[in-house]
Amino acid sequence: MKIMLNGQEREAREGETILEMCRREGVPIPTFCYHQAFGGQGACRMCMVELREEGQEQMRLVAACTYPIKSSVEIITESERIQRLRRTIVMLLARRAPDNPLMEALARTYSSPRLTAIEVEPPNCILCGLCIHACEEMGRTAIWSMFRGIDKRIGTPYDEASEDCIGCAACARICPTQAINLEEEGSTRRIWNKTFDLVACQRCGKHYATREELEYLWERSEYGQEQLCESCRKKTLAINMKSFQQ
Amino acid sequence: MQIEAREYEYANDYKVLIESYSGKPEHLLAIMQDVQRHYNYLPRLAISMISQHVGIPVSRVYAMASFYKAFSLVPKGKFIFRVCDGTACHIKNSATLLDQLQQHLGIEVDETTADGMFSIETVNCLGACALAPVMVVNGKVYGKVSPGDVERIINEYGGQSYASQHKC
Repeated sequence: MKIMLNGQEREAREGETILEMCRREGVPIPTFCYHQAFGGQGACRMCMVELREEGQEQMRLVAACTYPIKSSVEIITESERIQRLRRTIVMLLARRAPDNPLMEALARTYSSPRLTAIEVEPPNCILCGLCIHACEEMGRTAIWSMFRGIDKRIGTPYDEASEDCIGCAACARICPTQAINLEEEGSTRRIWNKTFDLVACQRCGKHYATREELEYLWERSEYGQEQLCESCRKKTLAINMKSFQQ
Repeated sequence: MQIEAREYEYANDYKVLIESYSGKPEHLLAIMQDVQRHYNYLPRLAISMISQHVGIPVSRVYAMASFYKAFSLVPKGKFIFRVCDGTACHIKNSATLLDQLQQHLGIEVDETTADGMFSIETVNCLGACALAPVMVVNGKVYGKVSPGDVERIINEYGGQSYASQHKC
């Protein structure tokens, strides 16, 4: 269906979100809490855009990541009003992650005033919730948001090692502000107050995954029980394909 | 999750209570409230058992327990002194009542005496501002409490020994 995007006519698929459409069209919209794998959460409000539905007079603000396009709407992704809003969001979130490169860059982009830092746990966490989603998608749900209001934070129950945590570090990898403490030393990994042994790759010897993570994956897939790191697995695949062609 | 040994003594009691509900996820809150009512807090073992019963991960049950102020994650006293510190009670000097309680019982707000008899809490408003300052002990309401009344109220619940132990 035809929609108006920043004054130009564009084609949108019915039901897709404004954010999905804009990403496809190459129109930049900043986000913290959005990830392709999970869809929009509407939590961080960075993706707010102005929108006018048919028959409406005024533009209103909507979160691009959760608004599904169902009619011929008019969308503006950059305006003074949106800039002001993003400036405020960055100003407030930067208090939680004052020295984080991403927040510093955004503070420059939106000329956000720098406020005094506040101490949060874990440091630099902006509560976007991506780690919770990642853990849930892994089927573990070892972490969740605890407490409420100014005390709200992400963690494991009682801040102790969780039986549900397999040390896969999906949470740490997806975190936009690198707030999740992941320590690796030799063949051990420490995350969320729990220490894991790392398994070595059979080809290159690199310690690449926790024992718990591998066993969890083996139980759930028909993939062979070979212990190969990501790059060696790709190499093996390529070799196998080559011999298959011959 | 480390579970204290003494909680296992109550494992069967928790089980009976929890399994009196069907294991539907929507019963989570009701079960938690029931356990809180019976034990004045949510024991770790109970949280773990509830999680299994309704099929919701421990992290989410714990998250819910930490979200609502009605739940406690640490054992509470048999008698809970709740002092209202809403605007009206605050102006009517609820702070003095708190001071008195803390002195007499030898504990701070949100703490429990070592023998598990008394806890002190503050609440933001009990909706009884005309009775300010208000204090509630296990559901019994005391209105227009004067600092002189505190010791008498504590004694009603057998707190005399505390008063003598902790008097300066």
